[in-house]
Amino acid sequence: MITNPNAYDLIVAILNAIGVYNIILGFFQEQGMEYLLRIVIVLVEIAVVLVFVLLTVMFLSWFERKMFAVVQSRYGPMVTGPRGLFQPIADGIKLLGKEDIIPATADRWIFTIAPYIVFVSVLLVYIPLPFGESLILSDLRVGLLYIIAISAITPISILLAGWASNNKYSLMGAIRAVAQDISYTIPLAITAIAVVVFVGSLSTVDIVNAQQGYWFWIIPKWFIFLQPLGFILLLIACIAEMGRIPFDFQESEQELVAGFFTEYSGMKFAMFFLAEYAHMFAVSGIIVTIFLGGWTGPAIPIIPIQITSLIYFMIKTYAVIFFACWLRDTVPRVRIDQLLHLGWKIMIPLALLNLLVAAFVVTAGVI
Amino acid sequence: MNPAEELKYLLPNSVVSVGVQTNKPLAVIRKEDLLKVAEKVKEMGFDNLSVITGVDRVDRIEVIYNLFSYRKKQNLALKVVLEHRSPEVDSVTSIWKVADWLERETYDLVGVKFNGHPDLKRILLPEGWVGHPLRKDYDMSTEQFVTIGEDGEDIVSTDGSNLLRRK
Amino acid sequence: METETLLLNMGPVHPSTHGVLRFKLRMDGEIIRDCQIVIGYLHRGTEKIGEMKTYLQFIPYTDRLDYIAAMPNNYAYVKAVEELAGVEVPQRAEYIRVLVMELNRIVNHLVFMGSLLLDLGASTMIMYGFRERENALQLYESLCGARMTFNYIRPGGVREDLPDGFIPKLNEFIKDMEKRIVDYEELVNGNEIFLMRMKNIGVISAEEAINYGMTGPSLRGSGVDYDIRKLEPYSIYQDLDFKACMRREGDSYARYLVRVEEIRESLHILKQIVDKLPEGKTINQRYNFAPNTGAPSAVTSYFPRIFTPTEGEVYSRIEAPKGELGFFVASDGTTKPYRVKIRSPSFCNLVALPKMVVGLKIPDLIAAFGTIDIVLGDVDR
Repeated sequence: MITNPNAYDLIVAILNAIGVYNIILGFFQEQGMEYLLRIVIVLVEIAVVLVFVLLTVMFLSWFERKMFAVVQSRYGPMVTGPRGLFQPIADGIKLLGKEDIIPATADRWIFTIAPYIVFVSVLLVYIPLPFGESLILSDLRVGLLYIIAISAITPISILLAGWASNNKYSLMGAIRAVAQDISYTIPLAITAIAVVVFVGSLSTVDIVNAQQGYWFWIIPKWFIFLQPLGFILLLIACIAEMGRIPFDFQESEQELVAGFFTEYSGMKFAMFFLAEYAHMFAVSGIIVTIFLGGWTGPAIPIIPIQITSLIYFMIKTYAVIFFACWLRDTVPRVRIDQLLHLGWKIMIPLALLNLLVAAFVVTAGVI
Repeated sequence: MNPAEELKYLLPNSVVSVGVQTNKPLAVIRKEDLLKVAEKVKEMGFDNLSVITGVDRVDRIEVIYNLFSYRKKQNLALKVVLEHRSPEVDSVTSIWKVADWLERETYDLVGVKFNGHPDLKRILLPEGWVGHPLRKDYDMSTEQFVTIGEDGEDIVSTDGSNLLRRK
Repeated sequence: METETLLLNMGPVHPSTHGVLRFKLRMDGEIIRDCQIVIGYLHRGTEKIGEMKTYLQFIPYTDRLDYIAAMPNNYAYVKAVEELAGVEVPQRAEYIRVLVMELNRIVNHLVFMGSLLLDLGASTMIMYGFRERENALQLYESLCGARMTFNYIRPGGVREDLPDGFIPKLNEFIKDMEKRIVDYEELVNGNEIFLMRMKNIGVISAEEAINYGMTGPSLRGSGVDYDIRKLEPYSIYQDLDFKACMRREGDSYARYLVRVEEIRESLHILKQIVDKLPEGKTINQRYNFAPNTGAPSAVTSYFPRIFTPTEGEVYSRIEAPKGELGFFVASDGTTKPYRVKIRSPSFCNLVALPKMVVGLKIPDLIAAFGTIDIVLGDVDR
């Protein structure tokens, strides 16, 4: 079985190219600890992704505030750094300095651990996310299934946070979050399956590879053109999954103060904040991977494909994020029962229909 | 015939006198008959109770009801005169729902007791406040301290003991 | 399965209670089974203060009642005092009074639209509303030096005449607003989610609304064709052409639409006033006791500081942006009112809220509450 190249292979290739890989390998082999080299390289990969996520979160929070400001004819952050670019750093320092309050009646253990579970479960989504040609931590053969499964951890940790806070608003926010996640993971999964039917593989890299090339030399072979309905369903489900306006019931500040993180402060609050933006980027990346051709795009000579593909991926992901922010700026929040109505009674039947059509098309061999 | 005179014609025994409250017809009502008069007035088309005002006249307490009819586009004021020592009058909540809060306010600030009110308690001031501020003999030299208790209910004291930190 | 109702304390400090209001809700899951409103956190004893100040000294306190739209408060109190004392007002002063009050109605409804949309989770509208409100506030600032608490209307007239360049700036504002209101309608009115949240929420019938003492735009949203400016025309309203905006549905969306339409009507009134504004005095000269010092900075005319109406009582009401604002003033022939009673629209409109929201959900409570448009300064006084 041929596996697609991942970031590990890329690092080895780079080390080889500059001619140091064999020296390092030899050093480790002398000690009889080849496995240690593997671990070191994996740790380097993890560090790179962590730094990338933190930088993305910082940039995203600035980007969102700035865009919000432009829509509302304001300036937004302007003081810290050029056009307020360092505002997220200032915010981070402020949050670090805040008192870390645990309510007297809270369940201390669960209360403390819940934000970290949220953050880790979001980070795990990044493992099978293809940032570019061979820029992937691990090309799991069940990548898509893995993503959906990991996403299901988030509501559990939110429920833990809401329950442990021992606050009625937190609890209601948590219950809403779980209800919402359950009803939107299903259409999300069914829509994703419709794509898998075409590709014949759950691997995210295979999905991207299947979208390379053009129809009639102009239209890229992205699944959005093959399944526009599926794309719309996935987009709605993903925005609900992100928990953003118009579907931000877990927080819904005007109703539930701050939902499940009402009682959180300081670094624990920062963890939720990080998780929210990291999640937003990850989910946008998944939409891009499944429907918008992932990192595919016209090759540019001289520049290595790893870099161009990364740029294409980022452009597309930010386009999706831009859409999500735009939505937040303009529309009100729907009501929780209206959301569930939409999820169960409209989106799931449509997703099933989409899957049926996809299966029929593939079986009939039209494409 | 203005509405006050009409009322006097309809219920001659209940209406003590008829006058004006600066270009609005005014009828002074026997306090025992307020509920009966209110029903009659509602029948006459006065569907809007604008305001209930309690006035402390030192020797007596007056309660004034300002009414308006959307149908006839007429104004009417009713007045009852109560004893200063224990001002009590029937509640008109059953006739105009808005009287619920207006009566509570009058009870709170002027100290008029409305018999038959479903939930007569203070509305603007915290429960446990001493005195009715809009009485002319209200003692303004005594300070009163208010804090909010654990359950969200107010605690009032005159010596500030509730301001001390709990445990 | 055995279930329990949940007692939820919303407020006094909560993002969408528009200040310090407290709801005691009994919840069955997300559904409201019982709603009790607790007020009084902002009670400042304004009525008691009224008994201790002279007639003129009390005017600044009326500014603090409904601080979003303070001009009608000024006017309602002054109107009661004028009726009590029988003070004549020059025509130009009346026009200026109506001008500033209608401008304030627009300001109030802009804040209403912004805060309603903010309550529903769309935070852009409040910025737009405040952007236009800023222009109006600058007009006020040039008029009387204050942006929110004006202390401008006096018995016998207004404090000062319009400054130079006020009318051109006002014309600019009117022209700008007419364009902006179309923008707002495009942003908000056709929004499917907004309609989902507003239609058939917090429905109250006309009879119930009257019985619960609702007034103003909230009542007109229930199909009662009523407007004190029409029924008992005060000031110069009988000379102006405008209509009382009304909708029949009685739901939150109707109450919202009535207010948007009222912005248009107020702009229409402003345009007429600009056309008709007569020349003349801005305060009744009979009461002008100002020593003629000849200094240019001297106040040209004002109402006497010590002023004694004859003994009597008056209840006088106007159509404030939020509803019927009435002042009961009793005089005992001294320099201070014997009793001042404020019938505030926010207080009485709030009585009907529990009736509207029982059986609905928390987000509906927020939506219905937003369309009643209250200010806690006005509720608690």
